[in-house]
Amino acid sequence: MNSAALDRVFRDASGRIVAALASRFRHIDLAEDSFADACEKAVEVWQRDGVPNDPAAWLYRTAFRCAIDALRRHRTEARYASHVQPENGNDDSIDDEILIPDERLRLVFICCHPAVAIEARAALTLRLICGLTAREIARAFIIPEATLAQRLIRAKRKIAEAGIPFEVPGPDAWPERLDAVLSTVEVAYSKAHEDAAGSGPYAGFAAEMLELTRVLAELLNNEPEALALSAIIRFAEARRPARVDSQGMMIPISEQDPARWNHALIEEASHYLKRAIELHSDQPRVIQACIHATWCSRQDLTNPAPWHAILTLYDALLEVRDDAIVRLNRAVALAEVSGVNEALDELNSLATGLKEFPPFYAVRADLLRRAGKIEEAISAYDIALALVPTSAERRWLEKKKTDMMLNK
Amino acid sequence: MQYILLIYENEEVYGPGKSGPAMQEIVGKHMAFSRELGPVRVGGAGLKSTASATTVRTTNGKQTIHDGAFAETKEQLGGFYLIDVPDLDTAIAVAKKLPVFKDGSIEIRPVLGPG
Repeated sequence: MNSAALDRVFRDASGRIVAALASRFRHIDLAEDSFADACEKAVEVWQRDGVPNDPAAWLYRTAFRCAIDALRRHRTEARYASHVQPENGNDDSIDDEILIPDERLRLVFICCHPAVAIEARAALTLRLICGLTAREIARAFIIPEATLAQRLIRAKRKIAEAGIPFEVPGPDAWPERLDAVLSTVEVAYSKAHEDAAGSGPYAGFAAEMLELTRVLAELLNNEPEALALSAIIRFAEARRPARVDSQGMMIPISEQDPARWNHALIEEASHYLKRAIELHSDQPRVIQACIHATWCSRQDLTNPAPWHAILTLYDALLEVRDDAIVRLNRAVALAEVSGVNEALDELNSLATGLKEFPPFYAVRADLLRRAGKIEEAISAYDIALALVPTSAERRWLEKKKTDMMLNK
Repeated sequence: MQYILLIYENEEVYGPGKSGPAMQEIVGKHMAFSRELGPVRVGGAGLKSTASATTVRTTNGKQTIHDGAFAETKEQLGGFYLIDVPDLDTAIAVAKKLPVFKDGSIEIRPVLGPG
């Protein structure tokens, strides 16, 4: 097995093994270190004796022994070992599905605990559950690796010292804690998504978010919001190939060619959404996923854009989640269905809440342009351009502004 | 594990010298809450207003005495509970039920030591 294939095996096994060890020993660092030791041993032993039939089981057993050894060495930490039995650690006939208890959900809830610093949660989850290296995560979040490593260390220390329990939260705390998990994923993904061209620093990151939400949907397959989030991220990623034109300019969703969308991903997303709707059809993320699904059901550009259906869904969403961003998105649909003036009235009521939000000015500029208020449109375009960092969006705004000036 | 729950509220709601009717009301609530906690409550106390506070400050080995609390903030330390619970989640659940008169913050800190 070459080193790339080995890395793949290690990464695939890492989430479950680290979670199982962390949960068993109530000690994240010990779990990570023991797993790293096991991987090191594997490189040596597998080269000599060949790769075992079940590499994950081998890694788990070895890591388990490394953990026990480490605990014996550090006698001060002997209290961790007191409740640990090395049961079935030596029985090579048990396969990994049974051998390695799946404790990833516990670990997800720990990583995304509200008492963990908000900027560390996604990084810690990607590190421990998906097995990404600190370097990869640092690259994804465009922060120096040393900063990221510090955040991870601080977060793990907080978990150990504050006494965050290695448990899935009880029913009282469940809604709040589940929301903390899902928001963590949303925030991380929004970074990957905001760059339409996907050529920026977040380009490779979206793939990791697909993996993380796949795991979450598997672990939380009775939670409509978790399934809906997995669907949303797939619908959004499916459209990525059509989000920019050959000049690198953003294409708005209503003008994207459905033939360029990734239909395999749309199918996966629909599968998650179907299950979410069966469980609970009027939770906010489920309705958001339905909005994505409505767009993604468009067959080609000759079909009319589904604005009426979209507006109806935004009305439903407003019932359960009334915030400025939902209202802004609804206003875009409102302009198509009821006209630009009605949408502009709605936008005026949102101005204070969205002062620093570039899409607000982009939408406003577009509506003002269509209402023939050119001077106001120019200033809105200029504010949006001053706030938008990513290139595909900038090009689109610049073109809209230039076209407007030419037609004046 | 033992945790201290530090109660921060704007003490003005309790009137000058913490002697207003709001004080009577909150003391009653704290007494009931302490009974409800039972053996979980290891200790605790309410504090007189920051007007009664004195701070001893050490800088470069030199000690000075000042009138007032350590920091001027919108919310002041007004009391604390010391509790013994299995983990942070339980401590958070206790902190959520802790009576505050109107707005306030409860800071949860694990106590040093083997716990």
